[in-house]
Amino acid sequence: MVRFRIVLAFIRQHKPSYLFGILCMLVASWVQTLFPNLLGGTIDIMGEQGFNAASVRRNILFILLIALATFGFTWLWRTMIIGNARKLECEIRAKLFRHFLLLSPSFYQKKKTGDLIAFAINDISAVRMTFGPATAMSVNSLVLCIVSIFTMISTVDSRLTLLTLIPFPFVIWAMLSIGNQVRKSFLKVQESFAAISGKVNEGIHGVRVLKAYVQEAPTLADFRETSNGMVEASVKMVSVSSILGPVIELCFSLSFGLNLILGGRMVLDGTITVGAFVAFNTYLAMIMAPVLSIGRIVNLFQRGIASMDRLNGVFLSEPEIRDRPHARDISFQGHIAIRNLSFRYKDTAKAALEIQDFTIPAGSTLGIIGLTASGKTTLANLLLRAYDTENDSLLLDGLPITGYTLETLRNGIGLVSQEPFLFSATIRENITSFQLDRSEEEIREAASDSFMLESIEEMTEGLDTLLGERGINLSGGQRQRVAIARALLRDTPVLILDDALSAVDTVTEAHILENLRRRRKGKTTILISHRISAVADADNILVLNDGQVVQTGTHEALLQEGGLYREINDEQEENRHRLLRAR
Amino acid sequence: MKSTMNRKKTDTGSSVRAEKNSGSFGLMEKHPGSSGLMKKNHDSSGHTEKHPVSSVMKDKPTIPQTFGSEVKSHSLRALFRLSRPWMGKFILAVGCILLVNAATLLKPWLLKVVIDDFLIGRKPQNGLYSLVSMAILYIAVSLMGGLFTWLQVNLVNRAGQAIIHNLRCKVFETILHLPLPWLDKNSSGRLITRATNDISEIGEFYTDVTVNMMKDILLIIGIIAAMFTMSIRLSLVSLAVIPVMAVLVWLIKNRIRRNFFGMKHYIGRINGFFAESLSGMQTIQTLRVEEARDKDFTHLNDEYFKTTLTQVRLNSFLKPASDVFQNIAIAMLLAYGIGQVSGEGLPIGILYAFTSYIKQFFGPISDLADKYNSIQSALVSADRVFGLLDEEPILEKPDEGTPMPDAAGRIEFRHVWFSYAEEDWVLKDVSFTVEPGQTAAFVGETGAGKTTIMNLVSGFYLAQKGEVLLDGIPVSTLKKADLRRRVASVFQDVFLFSGTIRDNITLHDDTSDELLDTALRASCADSLVEHLAKGLDEPVTERGSTLSAGQRQLVSFARAIAHDPAVLVMDEATANIDTQTERLIQEALLQVTRNRTTLMIAHRLSTIRHADRIFVMRHGEIVESGNHDSLLKHKGYYLSLLEECEEPVA
Ligand SMILES: Nc1ncnc2c1ncn2[C@@H]1O[C@H](COP(=O)(O)OP(=O)(O)OP(=O)(O)O)[C@@H](O)[C@H]1O
Ligand SMILES: Nc1ncnc2c1ncn2[C@@H]1O[C@H](COP(=O)(O)OP(=O)(O)O)[C@@H](O)[C@H]1O
Ligand SMILES: [Mg+2]
Ligand SMILES: [Mg+2]
Repeated sequence: MVRFRIVLAFIRQHKPSYLFGILCMLVASWVQTLFPNLLGGTIDIMGEQGFNAASVRRNILFILLIALATFGFTWLWRTMIIGNARKLECEIRAKLFRHFLLLSPSFYQKKKTGDLIAFAINDISAVRMTFGPATAMSVNSLVLCIVSIFTMISTVDSRLTLLTLIPFPFVIWAMLSIGNQVRKSFLKVQESFAAISGKVNEGIHGVRVLKAYVQEAPTLADFRETSNGMVEASVKMVSVSSILGPVIELCFSLSFGLNLILGGRMVLDGTITVGAFVAFNTYLAMIMAPVLSIGRIVNLFQRGIASMDRLNGVFLSEPEIRDRPHARDISFQGHIAIRNLSFRYKDTAKAALEIQDFTIPAGSTLGIIGLTASGKTTLANLLLRAYDTENDSLLLDGLPITGYTLETLRNGIGLVSQEPFLFSATIRENITSFQLDRSEEEIREAASDSFMLESIEEMTEGLDTLLGERGINLSGGQRQRVAIARALLRDTPVLILDDALSAVDTVTEAHILENLRRRRKGKTTILISHRISAVADADNILVLNDGQVVQTGTHEALLQEGGLYREINDEQEENRHRLLRAR
Repeated sequence: MKSTMNRKKTDTGSSVRAEKNSGSFGLMEKHPGSSGLMKKNHDSSGHTEKHPVSSVMKDKPTIPQTFGSEVKSHSLRALFRLSRPWMGKFILAVGCILLVNAATLLKPWLLKVVIDDFLIGRKPQNGLYSLVSMAILYIAVSLMGGLFTWLQVNLVNRAGQAIIHNLRCKVFETILHLPLPWLDKNSSGRLITRATNDISEIGEFYTDVTVNMMKDILLIIGIIAAMFTMSIRLSLVSLAVIPVMAVLVWLIKNRIRRNFFGMKHYIGRINGFFAESLSGMQTIQTLRVEEARDKDFTHLNDEYFKTTLTQVRLNSFLKPASDVFQNIAIAMLLAYGIGQVSGEGLPIGILYAFTSYIKQFFGPISDLADKYNSIQSALVSADRVFGLLDEEPILEKPDEGTPMPDAAGRIEFRHVWFSYAEEDWVLKDVSFTVEPGQTAAFVGETGAGKTTIMNLVSGFYLAQKGEVLLDGIPVSTLKKADLRRRVASVFQDVFLFSGTIRDNITLHDDTSDELLDTALRASCADSLVEHLAKGLDEPVTERGSTLSAGQRQLVSFARAIAHDPAVLVMDEATANIDTQTERLIQEALLQVTRNRTTLMIAHRLSTIRHADRIFVMRHGEIVESGNHDSLLKHKGYYLSLLEECEEPVA
């Protein structure tokens, strides 16, 4: 039952409505049982010569009342219990979403987005089916089953009753073993569903590449295979789950058959009466119906369990990055110190970044330059605690970054990443990070300092232009500038620009850099770039290569020193000269 | 195989469907940003005031105008058309059902024989006519019944799965062939729902509804026939409630449907919201916008919850309602009987028989009432799916058009005007020619329209005015597959698939080792591959999230070269790559681009210095062109870019 922790908590929380629902269900069943007697009685009355029409009319009224009551109570329990199941569905989904918000990048690297979406809709639906219709049905069937068995025990010969119970062990065994199989094969079905969802998701997002390289046909063939997997899994699951009903029926027929022989002999011997024999058969048939529906419920439950297990797999994956116990909620100025940093991504052999000792004084600007894959982005990720280092090697204002709450830390460090992610919301929402109470002037100022204002104003709806997914309807450079505006508006004590101007033309780049210098005066700024001109003005420059610090110092000092920085500089200088010199 | 499928469809289906296309479903649930930058926002004035509302909350489901019988019958017909190839299986399944029913009827008869003949009649038992053989027969009949039940369920399931497998593949095929302008405007999450959840619901229609519905309808017909043969008058009385029921069902039908439409709309949006949030999770976390996202999500989830609650209420109404009608029918029968029976016009036995008929009759009716929702749900899903499939006429047909097995690579733009949205021209009267084997470079400020030019060359978008020609043939008339095989692009936004590095470079194509080697070397991806533990077979995660941005660019670069194109398009292909690697790439590229036409976009002008032609763009126009030297002499915008770019360091 551990696996249903979430559901049980929900049920506990909604006890009144569940109890009321079940009560209504029982009342509805009870009212319905009144009907056959009433009808029989009425017909009996009418069968008499010169019957009393008034009493028939009264009975007809009762029949109508019963109809009304049945309707009312059935409607009530259905809306209560099935409505609760819907609520459960939405609550689990909200919980899942919140959980997703906590999980760290290392989790998302292992999973595909499409697979994860399947949890939110498909698996949660299966759980709902279990706790809505299936639960309601099971209460009904159990009650019916137990009531019939008890009436039988009290009215029919005990030997015959024993005969009735013979199928039960087999039925239960069948339910358990087939149920197990159903669960396993349903897991496969859900997994193939997730795979399909994953393929479609990747296909849609990568559609430009697929089209550009004429990959439609092979991609479709690949998808066909995945979809075939789903077909196979479903066929297998149904072929297993559809055995249960017939098996239960067969078990009962064995009981019927035995009764024909044994009960028949007993009637012939005169041990029991024909009436008892008939009653027995009737009861057996009466028990069979609810047991059959319990079989169906077992199927649904096993599906729910399979999906719940999948969901629990997500819920149990703990966020790797979270607030440490004594994490503090104090603001910082942005003095960054790096001590004995050595960071390795999971499942990789080599450290992605190693820094012995480095300090970025509060309010200073640091430039980082380095070859491809030298660990620049990694440093930014570490400062923001997208990943954690083993020892406390990053200090902010003297305190390890893990000593701050994630909220303070991330509220205090802005990042414009290499490939900025924009939401499919309005430009305003993107620039303000959904803080819709930011003033128009602030927004416009941030946009104008990132040289985006002009482009925005050209759009008919200006700041309220809706962006497509990932900002598809902007050019690459416009996306980067919106992201910069977003960072400028947040105005954090520390700002990291990770190659954030790579898609911006040089004229605009120079202007933006100048604005940055102005707006970031007195605040810690880290500029990652491949271009010397972008970092040359920085107070200090860090030169990285292959995860190692190769040089540090100001532009002048580094030029003096020679080495990688000088090489890069010379190369760019030479390019410049070559460019300016006509061929 | 696919192409023939396509063609068949266009022959038969497109003309009929085209007329519906204007209000078609696929477009209906457009992405909020769909009308691009053009649409006037009517309530934008309320934005900065007291109650700011996030854009997520503004997008309400739009119930289609054509909502109703017309589209519905279209979907219903389409659903039946899809099942036609599997009719055999369905008929077999119905046969199984008849056998199962026979078994169900046989069992009480056997019991009756035992009781009447042996237990009461005390007839002698001899041979097969005995208690034991009756018992065995009983068990055998049940076994048969069970077997055929199993068979029926599996037959229907197989057929249903096969149908939706085909449908699912068709949907995915449609998605892959949708033109980019359409995809730009539609949320991917909602497209995904079409291929996943909507298809599943349609599957349930086939597996759970069709055959059982047939069974119910057969039963109802049988019972009605039995009733009418017994007494026409009583039958009419008993069935008098049916029209009332029909009216009732008809009355709430639209509500149910509309509600399902809303439900599915929100499920699609939830899907999209999840998809977007998951892929932007790191940004969400570093920006600390979790709360805002959660709020928007809660809004969607709550809206969805409201629709489901309505659905539960409506659904809870129909089934008990049919029970109520059963009782009302019986009450009416009895009331009618009062006069008749006392007047001796009606034997009580017939009255009794009719009450049990009514009960039997309402069994399947209540079953149908229960399924009514599944049917409506499936139909709404079908509307959505077929609405997407109805986009057929606008789909890209990669295999149609003038074939081009080989290309010299001459590219010409003739007075091209282009806009993504209405009259918002992004390219204004652009004309240029690039001769085969030449290297042309495009420079200019962001948003000038450089990427747009590349998009037009590959035929992703079509120019509104003017012509784009490859080797003198308009690209719009070219066979798209051939065009795109001749032109390989390195996109500004790199996209890597999950798989391996090799998969990402070769994609699904056979690439010779030699070519692969050249590609790796020319893109400098070879040193990257060398450092990886598994080399080319190193796994790549979704979007290449474990590689550095520069590494991703190298891979996508290698991909283009490995496809050995006549025209190589590089859109800021080295923007995230360091200067030294870039130089190495350039040296290697000289080999590769020697006899190919190359179009490149770069902000670092050193990259394009060697280009034969440089086009300087501004606001969608080519303002200067020439080679580097001539542009330098011209002392225009190019020079100013240059001076900024390689501004001597202070
Ligand atoms: N999530 C990850 N899991 C495993 N390895 C990673 C991950 N992210 C980056 N790496 C590896 O770590 C190294 C450094 O990557 P990083 O992104 O920091 O480079 P970078 O300096 O930003 O390069 P670029 O200039 O290309 O952006 C690379 O070898 C990269 O493949
Ligand atoms: N898919 C799209 N839908 C709508 N507008 C777009 C789309 N792509 C680009 N744009 C707009 O077209 C203009 C030109 O963009 P683009 O060609 O990408 O510029 P760049 O020269 O930077 O490559 C920009 O104003 C951009 O906002
Ligand atoms: Mg990087
Ligand atoms: Mg561009």
